Amino acid sequence: MEIVLAQIVNGFSLGSIYVLLVTGFNLMLLVARIIQFAYPQFVVLSMYASWAILESTNNIFLAALAALISSIILNLLSEPIFRRINNRENVDINASFVASMGLSMIIVEIMSHSINNGFPVSFPDYWGGKNLFSFGYINLGRGEFYALFGGIILVTIFFYLLYHTHYGRVFRAIAESRKTAKQVGLAVLKSSILSYLVAGILGGIIAILFSMLLGSASPWLGESVALKVLAVSITAGLGNLKGGLYVGLSLGILESLAVGFIAGSWANVIAFVLMLIVVLTKPEGLFGAAIE
Amino acid sequence: MKSKENLLEINNLYINYGSIKAVKGISLYLKKNEIVTLVGPNGAGKSSLLKGIMNIEKSKGDIFFKKNKINNLATEKIVSKGISIIPEGHLIFSSMTVWENLQLGLYQGAQDKDITLKEIYDYFPILEKRKEQKAGTLSGGEQQMLSIGRALLSGPELLLVDEPSLGLAPQIVQNIFSILEKLNKDGFTILLAEQNVKKSLEVADRAYVLKTGEIVKKGNANEMLKESNFMDLYLN
Repeated sequence: MEIVLAQIVNGFSLGSIYVLLVTGFNLMLLVARIIQFAYPQFVVLSMYASWAILESTNNIFLAALAALISSIILNLLSEPIFRRINNRENVDINASFVASMGLSMIIVEIMSHSINNGFPVSFPDYWGGKNLFSFGYINLGRGEFYALFGGIILVTIFFYLLYHTHYGRVFRAIAESRKTAKQVGLAVLKSSILSYLVAGILGGIIAILFSMLLGSASPWLGESVALKVLAVSITAGLGNLKGGLYVGLSLGILESLAVGFIAGSWANVIAFVLMLIVVLTKPEGLFGAAIE
Repeated sequence: MKSKENLLEINNLYINYGSIKAVKGISLYLKKNEIVTLVGPNGAGKSSLLKGIMNIEKSKGDIFFKKNKINNLATEKIVSKGISIIPEGHLIFSSMTVWENLQLGLYQGAQDKDITLKEIYDYFPILEKRKEQKAGTLSGGEQQMLSIGRALLSGPELLLVDEPSLGLAPQIVQNIFSILEKLNKDGFTILLAEQNVKKSLEVADRAYVLKTGEIVKKGNANEMLKESNFMDLYLN
């Protein structure tokens, strides 16, 4: 029983990271109208940024700041690329998907050639590794604690802003119908650029929490995470923010239980089995797709 | 009081969709406090012209609002200068509440505006009653009122109204036209594109008749209404 409980606690921590990632991914999908497959790569690259700062300064505040700034810069830099793609006539959303996959591969190559000779990097213990408390089999590490509560706080703030501020309402309006938003003269382009900034801030915090939870990062982490984020979004219903919340959290828990009870390597397959079942039986996703 | 000065002036405007020429060198003007209507059959270029003014569609030619050229401004900038459009098909955000839809207008446009949410509720009491409801649950007429309310809340001087009667029952159409007249009395200048020729000539001061992207007749709306063969001549 205790083992189950321990795995569930772990699962919630991992799940909250998935939720944050899929939220950023869905935000881009809804407001900027792109399938941003490289978003998790930006997160991993930002994890590297904080690792580099930790290696050279040992300063956790500077390291956190580095992750945040690099994520914001990466997301904002990608904006003109995707805008160019989206501005062409008769272009569908898959063009951005292909472009972001290309971007993602380039980033993997950069990381595997030029950072730490391509070896995975590991974060020092003081970053997130220490145990916060143990109770029987249950160990709650500091990284898990931050990932879990950081995730809850961040998601709460995000949804509050989305539902209770002007820009949140504009985001939702554009998400519902870009055409109507344009027709009534909402600032679609400005909001789209703002969504990159928001996704950047979100991604920076994810990078901090994720590196605390995992204690390491590798050039290939981003791609496997990106595939899972895509699977979560499709399983929940593309662009469905609330659906992403439930499915992301459930996936974290399921994966953790799999690690505890089956062989750990099988955990990575769960997201895709789920996605396949959903695509075959309920193509619009468990909670319904939110884009036309 | 109609003023002498042109609020809106359009010179030689062209709008193309690929190889299709929707608007072919149209020139027109609006004075403050006028209702001017654009009438003409489907495909005459009425909607395109309104979209051109808002820069929702790209256009060539000159558009002046209060003597400032507004051609290449982003749509939201044009809104903040004081022009709002009530698009065709009572476009609203159906997953958002009535109140949220109105808030979208309130935060748009000019910072210092004379109109408040309360005044909108005075024009449309039904919207206050339904303010917590999802806009998608409203009837067609109520959605049109919401669309007008949102446009008004951005604080415009000039309202562009695109086919307000489309898809609405006759009684509701009457209601919407009365509201437009009331808004005009309260100081709003209105450019109205409408297929319901009789109704729009009744409320308008002046009219432009459009056919395949060109103005084929212009003048006093009342006089046009009296011409017995007007419909046969220009609108078939």
